[in-house]
Amino acid sequence: MRTMQQLVFDFFRLCNLEPVEIRKGVWQVRADDALMKELDGWRAQGRLLQFTFDQRSAETYGADLICHGSYRLNSILQVIRKQGVLSQAHIPHHFFHEPGIRKKILGGFGAVERAYVVNCSLQYSQYLELEILAEARGLQKKESIHTVVVDLSSGKVLKFAFPYHLLKAGEVPKDTLRKRKCSFKQAFANATTHLHETMAASDHNWAYEARHKLTLEEEKLREFFQGRTESEEFKAKKQELHQRLAPAVRIDALRGAILLVPLFHYRLVVVETHGKEKSKNLTYDPIGNQYLQDSD
Amino acid sequence: MHQFFPNFANAETKRETPVLLHEVTLQDYNGEVLARGFKQIVSELRAKRFDTWAWYSLAKKADEFMVSQQQTTELLAVEYLKERWKQVGVVPYNHQLQTAKRVIFDMQGQAILADEVGLGKTIEAGLILKEYLLRGLVKKVLILTPASLLWQWYHELYEKFGINAGIQRSEWDWAYSDILIASLDTAKREPHASHITNILYDLIIIDEAHKLKNSSTLSYRFVNSIQKKYCLMLTATPIQNDLKELYNLIALIKPGQLGSYRSFKDRFIMDKRTPKNPQELKVLLSQVMVRNRRDEGTIRFTGRIVHPIVVSLTPKEQNLYDRVTQFVKERSRQTGLQNILPLITLQREVCSTFLATALTLEKMMVSMEPDQLTQVADLLKDLADVKQNTKCDALERLVGGLDDKIIIFTEYKASQEYIRYRLEKAGYSTLAFDGTLSRGKKQWIRHMFQKEAQILVSTESGGEGLNFQFCNQVVNFDLPWNPMRLEQRIGRVHRLGQARDVHIFNLLTKDTIEEHIMYLLHQKINMFETIIGELDAILLHLNLGKTFESEIMEIFLAHEEQEKIRERLDHFGDRFIMGQAEVKTSTWELF
Repeated sequence: MRTMQQLVFDFFRLCNLEPVEIRKGVWQVRADDALMKELDGWRAQGRLLQFTFDQRSAETYGADLICHGSYRLNSILQVIRKQGVLSQAHIPHHFFHEPGIRKKILGGFGAVERAYVVNCSLQYSQYLELEILAEARGLQKKESIHTVVVDLSSGKVLKFAFPYHLLKAGEVPKDTLRKRKCSFKQAFANATTHLHETMAASDHNWAYEARHKLTLEEEKLREFFQGRTESEEFKAKKQELHQRLAPAVRIDALRGAILLVPLFHYRLVVVETHGKEKSKNLTYDPIGNQYLQDSD
Repeated sequence: MHQFFPNFANAETKRETPVLLHEVTLQDYNGEVLARGFKQIVSELRAKRFDTWAWYSLAKKADEFMVSQQQTTELLAVEYLKERWKQVGVVPYNHQLQTAKRVIFDMQGQAILADEVGLGKTIEAGLILKEYLLRGLVKKVLILTPASLLWQWYHELYEKFGINAGIQRSEWDWAYSDILIASLDTAKREPHASHITNILYDLIIIDEAHKLKNSSTLSYRFVNSIQKKYCLMLTATPIQNDLKELYNLIALIKPGQLGSYRSFKDRFIMDKRTPKNPQELKVLLSQVMVRNRRDEGTIRFTGRIVHPIVVSLTPKEQNLYDRVTQFVKERSRQTGLQNILPLITLQREVCSTFLATALTLEKMMVSMEPDQLTQVADLLKDLADVKQNTKCDALERLVGGLDDKIIIFTEYKASQEYIRYRLEKAGYSTLAFDGTLSRGKKQWIRHMFQKEAQILVSTESGGEGLNFQFCNQVVNFDLPWNPMRLEQRIGRVHRLGQARDVHIFNLLTKDTIEEHIMYLLHQKINMFETIIGELDAILLHLNLGKTFESEIMEIFLAHEEQEKIRERLDHFGDRFIMGQAEVKTSTWELF
């Protein structure tokens, strides 16, 4: 309930409206024509929209009831879901303690080698976050939502949890963006493959049930057509049956975001034991906590 | 008009077409990847339209919320429509909710809704449609109905379910409109049929599905050829004459459910109307058919209280009635029974008002021989001389004693105008309601009647399709001879949603044919006090070979003596009651 209330209040806040509690449990906002049209269709006009989360208050004061499945909640959800198809956010580089990273890198060379930093630069690596809806269609439809993050440098799906709490809205300077090596299409393909693999490992009872029912119904259909299984009518009816009962998982992307993660890039000079100097490029990825050695 | 969310134009249209990006066959199921969502993201990327992170995060929460809501096995539509139903006065009955759940969760959207008349099959179908829409399971829907019910479906779907369906008008509508209501008779004809059979429908709803009982008809073959995922058929009479009709209906929605026809015949048919293994058949039927009955305690209908008001004509009126009756009998002897319709009309009109009679006589004069014209002219002259109308006097007295809203039914426009003239003159506010009014005007008059006027004077055709549950007093100024038409009249007020007992006032003129009609409909068939479901099935079962009205007229014309007429009507009434029992037995055994 609290989540629902929070969602509704966040919605109005993002619409620059501040609900006022006019009675205990009954709120009011002044929704203009444009918002009402988004909520209730083109015929709607602006009005003082009163809403409540309590059934009794809705009946007493005639306010729109917002509860699971109610019209008003659904209209708000529909409007919200139309927003935010694409967004972007970044993790500010200052969230990570650069001297600490530098120390860690230099410390890694041990006693036999010495290294010093010639220069240090910052880049932002691009990740594509996809929110994907998976519909398992068998005897009934079951939906689930999956979030997959793909590293656009390598095309790999992130196996660990992305630190969303560090994200901040907004862009970064364009010249700091690391070039993508994976196309969006490839990233989406990788994400869906990953999703299929994940779902393949889960419970398939729904699919077995649907398959079983489909087999039974197909037998009945064959009996009805008495051997005329080559006829167009039989094929059409069989196709209908498959459309209705054949188990399938349908995947569709709902929205996506470009997530930018800082990469700390170091140019080092390493002094080996016999005094020979060698230059080396090293990149540190703070969210994967890994050092990537670049070729010179 | 400015848009509230300017950085997100045409989102809805972009989400429309579900194109498959690729498909993978896995061991247990098929994996399908749709292109639409991803394409939309890419197009936003290309246009560099980034929404704020706050909206993005909120939208993600809303997605999760929506999905969690859809996991319920309860009907989403009930909560969604709660407030709308409160506004329009719809009370969903338990049997309707159960039926919708059964069809969606157990029958996979393939069902015959065969509730008895008046139990709300349309509500059930609307509820199922709405639920499927809310769950995102259907998009392309076709509703096939008789032409006379197109607007009724449109209104019911819009008012009660907030579904904005289109009514088919041109051949382009089939592809264009997602939810379309169309007449079956239009749809089955070319060029429409070709358009329809090329479309894959998510859901087809067929009202009055008993019209598809014969598998050799064009209608049947047409419906069978439509590609459909889910299919609902609505009929109160899945069997009318023959068990084969039932087999045909079921073969349309689930071919093979009852096996091949040969095996069905061997296993289940004893004779045309008697099943061999009723219990076994019942189990198979229950998998594809839902039938709720009135007597199962599903609904408590309010009572019907009948008040017959006998009116004695003045000698002058009686004389004119006799002369018109004599004229009808003479004409029937001359022209035979082929052209009986105008004579039936005349005989009925003379019991209504002389104004209506005069207008019909005038029309008949065009096709008359010159020697008959004098007789008709005399009659017309005398009709014009009658200044009194005893029936209308009685109506005025009746209305004077009633406080609440009243609907007065008459079959004739001329009578309707005369009644209004008389009542307005007596100081009552009246409204006229008839079939020639546009949809908007009908709605407006219904609204005005509910809010302002006390009396609505309606003709038969005006009565169809609109409901007046806020009124509980019906006056039959003249009686229709056909029980179906009578049931339609009473059905306008005595239906689901009527909270009070319904009072039916029947004005009948003494020593006229109306007395006999009243005897047949009230005392014999008990039409007024009980709801006789399946009237059309009973009439079909009686196999009269002619209309109900013609049957009565023939009895009336064949005999002069009142006793003889009564005896024949008795016999006819007995046949009706027997037919009713037979229809009931055959359907009760199975459902």
